[in-house]
Amino acid sequence: MGLESMIGGEGFLTTKINDLVNWGRKNALWPMPFGTACCAIEMMATFSGRYDISRFGAEVVRFTPRQSDLLIVSGRICLKMMPVLQKIYRQMPEPKWVISMGACASCGGVFDTYTMIQGVDQFIPVDVYVPGCPPRPESLLDAVFEVQKIVSGEKLDSGKHGS
Amino acid sequence: MSDDTPPPETPPGDASPSNQQPAPHPVRAALPPLIESRILDEVTHGGQTGFIVRTPDQRAILEHLRFEQNFEFLKDITAIDFLGRDTIERFQVVYVLYRIPDKLNIRLHAWLPEEVESVPSVVDLWDSARWSERETHDMFGIVFDGNPDLRRLLMPEDFPAFPLLKDYPLKGRGERRQFPLVRPRGNEMVEDAPLPYPVSIGRGMHTPEYVEEVQRESKPRKK
Repeated sequence: MGLESMIGGEGFLTTKINDLVNWGRKNALWPMPFGTACCAIEMMATFSGRYDISRFGAEVVRFTPRQSDLLIVSGRICLKMMPVLQKIYRQMPEPKWVISMGACASCGGVFDTYTMIQGVDQFIPVDVYVPGCPPRPESLLDAVFEVQKIVSGEKLDSGKHGS
Repeated sequence: MSDDTPPPETPPGDASPSNQQPAPHPVRAALPPLIESRILDEVTHGGQTGFIVRTPDQRAILEHLRFEQNFEFLKDITAIDFLGRDTIERFQVVYVLYRIPDKLNIRLHAWLPEEVESVPSVVDLWDSARWSERETHDMFGIVFDGNPDLRRLLMPEDFPAFPLLKDYPLKGRGERRQFPLVRPRGNEMVEDAPLPYPVSIGRGMHTPEYVEEVQRESKPRKK
């Protein structure tokens, strides 16, 4: 049915430990939703039945950063919210990845004013940007695929994995 | 009659052609003469009437409207900055009142000179003035004498400016860049000092080359 039918025969396989860990990690991303605006509505649609992010293994949405490894920043980040976002990012255990969803999180969008952060990538590292205002759920799914590609390229002895 | 406000509109179907002077607003007519004489002007827009006074004359009028004319609901307190306009003072503090039984809105505009920093608070008249005065203080720096808790409401408490003043730039004075840069280095999180804007540690959306390209291709906005 699954992996065992592909292995066949004696029921064992040979692989590199790096590939095995990355394979497990990329198919079990646990998102931490940081929804502050309308992008969060599209994010909820992505999590729910019609688009169903669980088809790609990322359905375990945790509202505590200590249990997640994928931060989805969806919405406007203002002056008062940026320290909160940084604190949440710091609380996430390694390894972790960040999606900046939508125009506002990526570059401030139309809100070029005194209180709007013009792109969260100025203050936390961002792996994947999603364009759109707000992006369609398909776009967020594509961003998750991009994160999966990044995860499968990680090296276990790199700093990202906290060796 | 100051020339900064539009002339009062005649309420439709109220004034007869022969009558040049429309009847005073019933709320104004019910004011005591001593208070009523302090009203500089009357503006009606969209069926809502506003009286224009000077600070601190609005306090007596508000007390009368609250207790004698039963305006039990203070909708909002805000302010207007007329910097660069030809007005008698720089600021106007605006009170929006509502009387629930006959659904009557009344505005009260109080001219506030730039050098006078404080106006009397109306917290003792309406409890809802607490947050309205805090917001107006947060945005304009106007101090409301008598408000028991005049902290900032919307902006961070250490914010150095009053952002709705007309001489405050729309994009701020760099407050939105004053955060440390958090990034993983090895197994530990480090905080770097704020980097000059624009900066990118992601995939190069905001590299200096990109910004130069955007600035080269974008034309200045027409006036």
